[in-house]
Amino acid sequence: MSKKLLHKTTSSFLAFAIITLLVSAPVFYYITDWLYIYETDEVLHFHKGAFVKESHENFSEKDIEAWNKYNHNVMISPDMGITKDSIFGEMAFDSVAKEKEPFRVIYSPVTINGKRYTYTEKISLVEMEGMVINIALMFLIIIIILLIGIIWISKRSAAKIWKPFYNTLHQIHDFEIDKNKSPSFVPTDIDEFNQLNNSLEQLIEKNIAIYKNQREFLENAAHELQTPLALFQTKIDSLLQLELNEEQSSIISSLNNDVSRLNRLNKNLLLLSKIDNENYLEKSTFVLNDYIEKHLDFFSEQAEAKNIIITTEFSVALSITGNPALTEVLINNLFLNAIRHNEKNGKIIIRIQDNQLTFSNTGQTPLAIEKLFNRFSKINPSSQGNGLGLAIIKKITEINQWEIKYTFDNQLHSFSVRF
Amino acid sequence: MKILIIEDELEIAQSIVDYFKTNGIQCETASNYALAINKIDNYDYDCILLDLMLPDGDGFDILKELKSKNKTEGVIIISAKETLDTRIEGFNLGADDFLTKPFHLSELLVRMQALIRRKNFQGSNSIVFNEITIDIFSKTVTVNNQKLDLTKKEIDLLLFLIGNNKKVLSKGAIAEHLSGDMADMLDNHDFIYAHIKNLKKKLHAAGSGDYIKTIYGLGYKWENE
Repeated sequence: MSKKLLHKTTSSFLAFAIITLLVSAPVFYYITDWLYIYETDEVLHFHKGAFVKESHENFSEKDIEAWNKYNHNVMISPDMGITKDSIFGEMAFDSVAKEKEPFRVIYSPVTINGKRYTYTEKISLVEMEGMVINIALMFLIIIIILLIGIIWISKRSAAKIWKPFYNTLHQIHDFEIDKNKSPSFVPTDIDEFNQLNNSLEQLIEKNIAIYKNQREFLENAAHELQTPLALFQTKIDSLLQLELNEEQSSIISSLNNDVSRLNRLNKNLLLLSKIDNENYLEKSTFVLNDYIEKHLDFFSEQAEAKNIIITTEFSVALSITGNPALTEVLINNLFLNAIRHNEKNGKIIIRIQDNQLTFSNTGQTPLAIEKLFNRFSKINPSSQGNGLGLAIIKKITEINQWEIKYTFDNQLHSFSVRF
Repeated sequence: MKILIIEDELEIAQSIVDYFKTNGIQCETASNYALAINKIDNYDYDCILLDLMLPDGDGFDILKELKSKNKTEGVIIISAKETLDTRIEGFNLGADDFLTKPFHLSELLVRMQALIRRKNFQGSNSIVFNEITIDIFSKTVTVNNQKLDLTKKEIDLLLFLIGNNKKVLSKGAIAEHLSGDMADMLDNHDFIYAHIKNLKKKLHAAGSGDYIKTIYGLGYKWENE
């Protein structure tokens, strides 16, 4: 699954932020904890040093008793066999909190009046616990603010930096080679994007040139063919006037069919190239029903040979806006298809509903939809058609922004145009 | 009747000349602009067939030339280039009809006859073939002064057949004539059989001669018995 570029950059930022937070929080806690204990130990050493330096010289036994009586945290006990200063962490009962609390305790040998004692001092670590948590919380808040800020700013600036890219992307997306509108890229102050735009412009220009060339070739070729076809046609018309035997007649008859097929093919190619060249831009509004009724007689006559029954079901008078000449071509092609690909004694139903026109005709198997609207794709190779009818239909619906749909249901091929 | 064919494709011009000759139409040809202008200046024609693309000039300029000299010849443009614009420009410059290449000679002939009839209209406008009289104006057909009940298509078909007297007409040519702009759509010409049959029947019932011959495999021909 592909993600958006901006999401991708911010999501890596976000992942980094979360990992940093998760890792740094416990590390910070332990470091603070260690530092506090280290400082506490320093204080214990300092107190003991001060005690030794200032107090113990003129201490008497009585003084020691009194000292021990009024001091809870600093005690002078008889020698416990301690030889050097040692500090431990201990759990001891705190008379204020009335529960066991963590303490740091120093045991240190001192000599008062030539007699050996053990100096003990304890400092409660309760304050530290609260402080560490407070600092950790503040730290967390700062980190979160920092990260949110970084993400927000990076997202903002990334959006700004990538804006020309998205602009280009949008333009290419909207670009259609058969429309006479090439994209115009906005110049940016980022070199790479300018390069991208320039490359795209060149690519598009080249393609448009090739496309135009092809289109002109098609139109020119079709036009150039008109003259030899005219020659062909007039020669056959002249040949017809000669005294012909049966064999000659049948050859000329088939030649005659061939030349009309060529004519039709060429006219359809010309029509396609004309549609491409947008020679049919003028639009007007008209009622579709009238167009169908206008040609109903003509096509009924054509359908008679196959004994096809044509029925019309017009539930509304559908008024549409489009080029009248092309709309007529569209309807005629749909009509002709419905006759051509019908069966003997088949039927054609022409339906106008809401804003949709449907031509349905009898058939046995559904058509393969993939190539249906391609030029020169013929479902039935032996059919009289030239494989351009549906391509023309498709083209006309495209330039009018209508929608053509094929369905097969109930032994009926249906082509629907939604206006 | 004398016409001028302005066409640079000599083969096409010759085919038209040969086809029209047997119907008593005298044709002259001009294969380029200079020749055409020269002929127009020196002679009067009943009709001019004009190709738009000439090696040394534009067919439209010939139309302008005709207009500036107040010439009244009917002009049919025969062109391979068919767009709405060229059509409109042609008509604006005074052309009377427009036929896109490729075309059937039979179609060209009846179009030209129709044009000349319109131009030379002198009170009556009817075509007479033996006992058959067609009044173009009122679109009525009489056989021995007895009015026939024909459909619009049947009258059209009759005019086409008589206009191409003694010519073999392919089914395709007839079908294209009868269906006009829709001709490009056709891939089956069988429907004309019904029209021919009905026309034959109606003419026969009115006591007319049997002029419509079926040419096996090819089409039909109108011919005096």
